[in-house]
Order: sequence, then C-alpha cells, then structure tokens
Amino acid sequence: MLNYIIRRLLILPFILVGVTMLVFAMLSMLTPYERASLYVSDIPKRQGAIEDIIEKYGLNDPIHIQYWHWMVGHEDKNTGEVKGGLLRGDLGFSTVGHMPVIEVIKHRLPATAELALLAAIPLIGLAVWMGIQSAVHHNKLIDQVLRVLAIIGWSIPTFVLGLLLLMFFYAQLDWFPPERLSTWASQVVQSGEFTRYTQMNTIDSLLNLRFDIFVDSLRHLVLPVITLSVISWAFLLRVTRSSMLDTLRQDYMTTARSKGLGERTVIKGHAVPNALIPVITVGGMTLIGLFNGVVITETIFNYPGLGKFMASSAAALDVVSVLGMTLFSSFVLVFGNLIVDVLYGVVDPRIRLD
Amino acid sequence: MLNQILDVKGLETRFRTDEGIVHAVNGVSFTVDEGETIGIVGESGCGKSVTMLSVLRLIPTPPGMIAGGTAEFYGQDLLKLQEEEMRHIRGAQISMIFQDPMTSLNPVLTIGKQLTEPMLLHLNMTQEKADEKAAELLEMVGISGASERLKDYPHQFSGGMRQRVMIAMALSCNPKVLIADEPTTALDVTIQAQFIDLVKRLQKNLGMAIIWITHDLGVIAGLAKRMMVMYGGSFIEEADVKELYANPQHPYTIGLLGSLPRLDGKHSERLVSIDGLPPVLYEPPTSCPFAPRCEFVIDKCLKENPILEEFSPKHRVACWVDISTGRSR
Repeated sequence: MLNYIIRRLLILPFILVGVTMLVFAMLSMLTPYERASLYVSDIPKRQGAIEDIIEKYGLNDPIHIQYWHWMVGHEDKNTGEVKGGLLRGDLGFSTVGHMPVIEVIKHRLPATAELALLAAIPLIGLAVWMGIQSAVHHNKLIDQVLRVLAIIGWSIPTFVLGLLLLMFFYAQLDWFPPERLSTWASQVVQSGEFTRYTQMNTIDSLLNLRFDIFVDSLRHLVLPVITLSVISWAFLLRVTRSSMLDTLRQDYMTTARSKGLGERTVIKGHAVPNALIPVITVGGMTLIGLFNGVVITETIFNYPGLGKFMASSAAALDVVSVLGMTLFSSFVLVFGNLIVDVLYGVVDPRIRLD
Repeated sequence: MLNQILDVKGLETRFRTDEGIVHAVNGVSFTVDEGETIGIVGESGCGKSVTMLSVLRLIPTPPGMIAGGTAEFYGQDLLKLQEEEMRHIRGAQISMIFQDPMTSLNPVLTIGKQLTEPMLLHLNMTQEKADEKAAELLEMVGISGASERLKDYPHQFSGGMRQRVMIAMALSCNPKVLIADEPTTALDVTIQAQFIDLVKRLQKNLGMAIIWITHDLGVIAGLAKRMMVMYGGSFIEEADVKELYANPQHPYTIGLLGSLPRLDGKHSERLVSIDGLPPVLYEPPTSCPFAPRCEFVIDKCLKENPILEEFSPKHRVACWVDISTGRSR
C-alpha cells in the first residue's frame, strides 16, 4: 500500500509540470502586444510605450525562456531584483481583484471550500444511501420514486434551478437570502472581537460561540448548496444504484446467502463494499468537480467565492486571473485525483497489491 | 438401511419473465440417504441448479417462486419454514458449492473472513477459535501455509485453490448435505481429478451426503451410486449409476451417453450429438418435452407427458416408447 502511494507521489510532479506547460501554452497564444496591453491601464501617452513593456517583461523572448521566467521569476534589468515566478507563489496580478492572484485565492478559497464541503456531505451521504436503497428495492415504489427524482435532478440546468430556488425561497418566502452573510452579521464578523480561525463562517461562528451568526450563515448556504449539489447527487445516486444492482447479481451474493447469513449482513457486509468501488472513483471526481463547478452557483447567489471571481475575471477579459485560476483548479484536480486513487486502493485489495 | 435425511416431493419452481411464466422445475421428487452421493445430470438450462437452489430457498423471489411440492429435511418441510429458521439450515445443515470458483468468493473480503463467517454464525465460536478452525479447514483441503493464507484475498488464489476454499467453507459447520453445483466444470482436467479425490476423501472422513449436479457423465460415474437424468424441468430417468450406464432406457440418456468419447470405443466411431436445444416451457408440459428432438417419437409422445415408471427394480424411466422395439410400452 505504501509502495502504491509513493509511486503515485513520484508521478505527481511530472503531471503538475505538464499542467503548467499547458496553461503557459494557452497564455502564449496571445501576441506580445495583447499580453502587454494587460499591464496598460490607460491609453499610452508616448510612442513606443508598449514596446518598452514588451522589452521589460521579455514578452518577445523565445518561448522556453519565457516559460522559465514564468516558472522561476524574472530579473529586473535595472534593479537586479528577481520578480514573479510561479515556484515562488506568484500567479500574476489580478486587475479584477486589485491584488495578486494568489492573494485573491487565499482570500476567497474559504468561502468556496465551505460551500463545497457543505454540498459534499449531503451529496455523498444521501446519494450513496439512496442509491443502495434503490438497488435493494429494485423496481419497488422507492426505487421508482428515486429514479424519477434522479432524472429530474440530472436534467435541470444549474442556472435554472438556482434561479427558481431564488425566486421561490428568497423573493416569495424570504427564507434563504443570497450572498454570504446578512449585513449585521458581516459587520460582526469583520469586527475585532470575532476571531476568523478558518474564514469559514459556519465553523468560525461556532468557535466564537455566536450561534446567531451560525444560523445566519447556514441560511445563506442552503440554496447554493442545493443548487451546487443536485446534479452531482443525481449522478452519484445513479452510479451507486447501477453498481449495487450489478453487485447483487454476482455469484458471491448467492454464496453469502447459502452460508445462512441474514439479508442485512449480506447487503452491508458483502454487497456494499463491492458496490462502493466504482462509486468512490466517480464520487471523488464529482467532489473535485464541485470545487471547480461553483462558477454558476456562486454567480447566481452573488456568493463571494472563487467561482464568482472566475466568472467576473472572464467577463472582464482578465487573462492573468483566468489562467491563474485555471492553474489552481488543475492543481486541486490533480491532488484530488491522487486522494481518490489512494482511497481506491484502500477499498479494493486487487488494486492495492499489484 | 440408512436414514433418509432429505425427501423432496413434487417440487415446482417457476420464473416470471417478460415473455411469460417459465416452468423451470416441474414436479421433481428424490430422496437422499445419510452419507450417500447422488448425481443429477442434464444439459444447461434443464433445471438442475434451480432444483437445488429451490430446496435451499435461494431462488431470487421475485421473479422466481416455488409453486408447489415439499422438501422434508429430517421430517421438517424446508419450503414452509420461516426465513429465520431457514437461515439456520443453510450453511449449517445443508451447504452448497458453486460452478465458478472465480466469481463465487467475495473479492474484497479476506479468505479468513469469508471462511469464519459461517462458524461465527452457526457454531457461536469466538473469532480466535474460528480462525484456528479455518486454518485447520484450509489444511484439510490441501492448502499449505494455511494460517498465513487466511489474510489473503481471493485474487491471490488460483481457480482450483478457490474451489478448495469454497468446499472448506461449505464443510466448516459439518453439514449433513453438501450440494455441489457443477463444481468441477470451470476447472481444468487434472485439477478436476484432484478435486474429486479431495471430495471423496472429505466425504469418507466427515460422512456428509452429497448431491452432485453436473453435465459431465464421466465425473458422476466415479462419484455417485445413484443418478437422475433431468430434462425440461423433470427427472426422466433414474437408476443406479452402473445400471444406467449399462442399460439406458430413455432416448435422451442414450443420446447423452452417445455423445461421450469412450476409451474402449473404436477410433473411427463418430460421437453422436442430440440436435436442437432444450425447451423453455411457458406452459406446464402436456407432451413429452423431449419429443421434438427424439428419434423414437410416436403419436402418444405428442399427446401426453410421460411420468416416471418402474422399468426394473430401482430403475425408473419416463418414456412411452420401449426402445428395444421402438413401439409403445
């Protein structure tokens, strides 16, 4: 098992380097002028200003040199100071966020993480449990109902669902408002007496014993969590169901019953561990997808996370931010994938040992 | 006279399918004495496995259902027991091994876990005690380094080894009856022979009765004393093995024997095959189910389904035709 993890970790740097190359290649598809113009906030006052910028940042250098500079940093010819460099944590400066991209990520990640984690819990728990029930009661009423719900959940576009929820539960009933906190709560959170341990409001409010803020942050999270997770929930339910149905048909199920085991033991002890193997792969990917798929949800609910930032940078043609976010998402994906692979080895002994 | 332990009478099993109700088992009766071996022979799809699964009530319901008959085990009708009571019979009193050892073991559980499960359940053993016994069982079926191998997973065993694990598991609670559903079909020939020797040795030591299901007449010859030939969900001939091989009376049995190569046969002899496929019965049979494939067929065969009748003592056959004359009996 350790061997397997070490091998996976050894491959990791190569994948990450590959990702940076792809992202850089995308950046290089813009001409030096286009890239230089990103740094120019106003119409240039003198001739050759753009050329100076191109010269200063080496935008006309051969591509491998540019890549090198992008990775390890670029020496300023006048001061001799080394600036930038991905390896030193510099993803460029975001014009939309008015701060370096890495700062934007640090600033906004907790909000998105909170949303994704809260979406993940009902998602995994409910989808897997329902999928198992659906398969065990194959073609019975509960199976039919869950199948219909899953198909509906799977087919409603996120933006439609989000808007419908917003219309009904906010505009009509005023139960669940958009954004992240109410104004009063937001003032408390930003005041000195409220310690922001994790920057996730639900957890911080509990740690600060401010249950009113906890309730307020939950109210703001209900709709985005539902919107974000419905499609994945439907998908995961269907995967679990079909995997479980497949498992229930296996010969070893008859073997288990022929030993005199009760139906509960047969299902829980013999079927579920097998049925969960594909679910873990798909479920892991779905979770990672949640992390990346917050763009629409956060935009609809005006939720100040990474997804909203991505959407506004794309709308403002802030190439640096978009690429920085792309790189960040890829890293999340690659690391998430690693965790899924390791988990896969934990549940399936056949993977573990070869 | 040995004690009769299992007495199945008029067993009927049906399956509901989209095409209609399939009559898989149509009034099968047989008895098993303590410690004896009987063979059930027939081609794929004739209802052999379904019969035995019905006795253990392992038919998935729905679509399957046991429509009639009794299956008395020590005088207690298994088909009328509560599910809970039935569970104490399965694996403890009557256990079963299956055709494909590659798929009959759970791939994500260790051999030790799967092997100890019946003992923990039926014999109230502690885990340590069960582990010990499991190692002994593996040793008994000829797997060396047994206590180490308990930690292994099924994929670390070969097919023959897995079938040995299966039989160790089936015998772990000293059952009275072992149902072997084509356990050698998926094994290659040398492993088959080893496995059959193992089963014989185990039976000698443990004394369980064996019901051996197969389509391989060669395997049965060396194992069983009595055998039944099954076709279209019914037994069509039953006799002692020697009598049946020497003196088959049903055209289907003759066909089965004719399709076997013989060591003492002439080299130039062609093996005979039976044309056609076994029927899928959507109605209870009103004619002989073998009639469409039978070369001895007479009018009566198409009008009435023959029932088992005594041909000679301990030899019964279900056929309207006397094959020595080709006319109705």
